[in-house]
Amino acid sequence: MANNLLGYMLIEGTENQIRGSTLITDAKGFPEDFTRTEPLRPDQLARILYGNSFGKYAKESLILESLLDAVEKEPQLWICNDSEILAPLHEKSRIKTVLLEESPHVPLDAAGHIETTAEPGVFLLQVEANGAPLRAEFPDGTRSDEVEQVALILTEAAETMSILEPFTRLQRAMNFLATGAK
Amino acid sequence: MGIRDFLARTITGNIKVYTIDDFSMDKPEVVKQKSRVKTEKIKPEIDIIVTRAPNFTRKIKTSAENVNISELKAKTRNYKIKRYVKQDVRIHKVSLSKKVRTYSPLKQVQALPQERKNLLKYIKNRPKIAANEMLLAWYGPIVEGAVIKLALNKQRGTLLVWYNPGSRKLKAGSVYLIRRLGLGEKPEWRWV
Repeated sequence: MANNLLGYMLIEGTENQIRGSTLITDAKGFPEDFTRTEPLRPDQLARILYGNSFGKYAKESLILESLLDAVEKEPQLWICNDSEILAPLHEKSRIKTVLLEESPHVPLDAAGHIETTAEPGVFLLQVEANGAPLRAEFPDGTRSDEVEQVALILTEAAETMSILEPFTRLQRAMNFLATGAK
Repeated sequence: MGIRDFLARTITGNIKVYTIDDFSMDKPEVVKQKSRVKTEKIKPEIDIIVTRAPNFTRKIKTSAENVNISELKAKTRNYKIKRYVKQDVRIHKVSLSKKVRTYSPLKQVQALPQERKNLLKYIKNRPKIAANEMLLAWYGPIVEGAVIKLALNKQRGTLLVWYNPGSRKLKAGSVYLIRRLGLGEKPEWRWV
């Protein structure tokens, strides 16, 4: 179903505690849906059985799946900032997915401009009229027309909202709610 | 040592030597020691607990359930069977693929302001300002018609924006901060 919602997925933590949250925003960046998980703390048995791979397993299988199951509104695009969850988020949601980060590059010619990089599957997207281009990483197998579609979605959204700002708000929300509020 | 011996030893260095003609000593008696260790058979009392595991394979289950007590006794003839207990094995199933509990405190998150960074360094077409004015910061995009409140975060240099949740307006603009040079002049916000 076509809509103008953007979905932000943030999963973070250490070996001792991992937590995740999603924020679905409208075109203004206003929250339409928010979900967070309780912190996941591996017990001794999980540490023994999974060893160093527990973090990856917890992110990909436990937290990501739980969040996707709980989300009530389906965005047109999922945005994440962690390469470990890019592919599983795309596979499990079956929705366009991109990893976005700030880049140190000078602004490209105009909003909507796409530039390839030396890294496969990574592009520079000038989505905001004023600002640096974003580093955009796509899941393996993403076609060039899909890259253009994602760039268009982001460029349109950037006319009314700041594209990376919801990650900051997600982080603040998780810290705020971790103090005890549910 | 007498005084004579002392003087003889000191002055002449002579020492008187005595000889014993009849010196004999008995041979030591050799006795053979034969120790015998006393051994005693003991029959410690033991508990035999036969486990029955319903979730194991049929073969193990059958052999465990058809335990022959007489055979068991024969194999443990030096032990006295105190009691025979048939006990189930308790099997703990550990689920590692549990779902993580999720919460949706949407209202609390809707109350949080959005944050805009100062984009002044990226602005190519800057607005015309008076000679006694200075452009301090540029924030956008902001949907002016939906704004409830704006607040400058002086520590981070960012602008906090609270939107009206019910607003359907989508026309976005930017706001910039001007400071007039002069004593007592206050900063001023202007929309573009």
